[in-house]
Amino acid sequence: MSVCPPYAPFFGFAGVASAMVLSTIGAAFGTAKAGIGIAGLGTFKPELIMKSLIPVVMSGIIAVYGLVVSVLISGALTPEGYPLFAGFIHLGAGLACGLTGLTAGYAIGIVGDACVRAYVQESKVFVSMVLILIFAEVLGLYGLIVALIMNSKVAGGVADVCYS
Amino acid sequence: MSTSEQVIIGKLNTDAASTYVNILAGNLRTLVTLSRQWNALQAGRFSLSLGIVPLTLYYGSLHYLWNGNSTFAAITAIVAANIVLIAYIILSILEDKQSPQSPSRIYAKALESKKAR
Repeated sequence: MSVCPPYAPFFGFAGVASAMVLSTIGAAFGTAKAGIGIAGLGTFKPELIMKSLIPVVMSGIIAVYGLVVSVLISGALTPEGYPLFAGFIHLGAGLACGLTGLTAGYAIGIVGDACVRAYVQESKVFVSMVLILIFAEVLGLYGLIVALIMNSKVAGGVADVCYS
Repeated sequence: MSTSEQVIIGKLNTDAASTYVNILAGNLRTLVTLSRQWNALQAGRFSLSLGIVPLTLYYGSLHYLWNGNSTFAAITAIVAANIVLIAYIILSILEDKQSPQSPSRIYAKALESKKAR
């Protein structure tokens, strides 16, 4: 049982892909669901559109989290000297960031839709909308932090374990 | 000046004023359309910077700031993306405070005063 089998980069690239794809699914759902509410608000009070675009920008931040993690992981992938340990860590990091981004985008979409529709009638809803959206976004941030901590275990270069 | 002349002059003044309000309302409509396009430009600029800023900061700080430590470079990129988000929130709140009478409200008021005449 070799420590650095040739199929190890499969898990690493699976981590890269899952970080980007899953967080983008969450961001797309958040943008779409909040966009429905913003389109409804725009027919009644078009001057509130700039403030009500905040859920859409926060969904974009979720996709940026996935982008940064996938760029971070793919920078460490090599064909030679890539242990299976590093492959599993990169897969775990990508899944942690991607799935938490999926949940955060889902929460941002539903909260953004409902709060933006309520903002048409009551302008004091704005502060609570921003607070709830921030709490929904730190779910994605926790996944990013765990992905960074996991990745830092192999960030120093562990290629020498293959040739020992 | 006789009363009939005064009545005619008064009617001419009212007509001129209503035409003036019509022209004003037309100008405001153009202004509202332009300001909506400007808002679309702002939103596009923010989404572009949200895509470009974290990536450039990641690679830049990886090479020049942290000497290859990729974890710190990722943290820098994420902090920059959150700063762009906070800047957007602050800008939208300031823009809302700057216009206490937004253009569409002025247009509605002009329409109301025209109807009351």
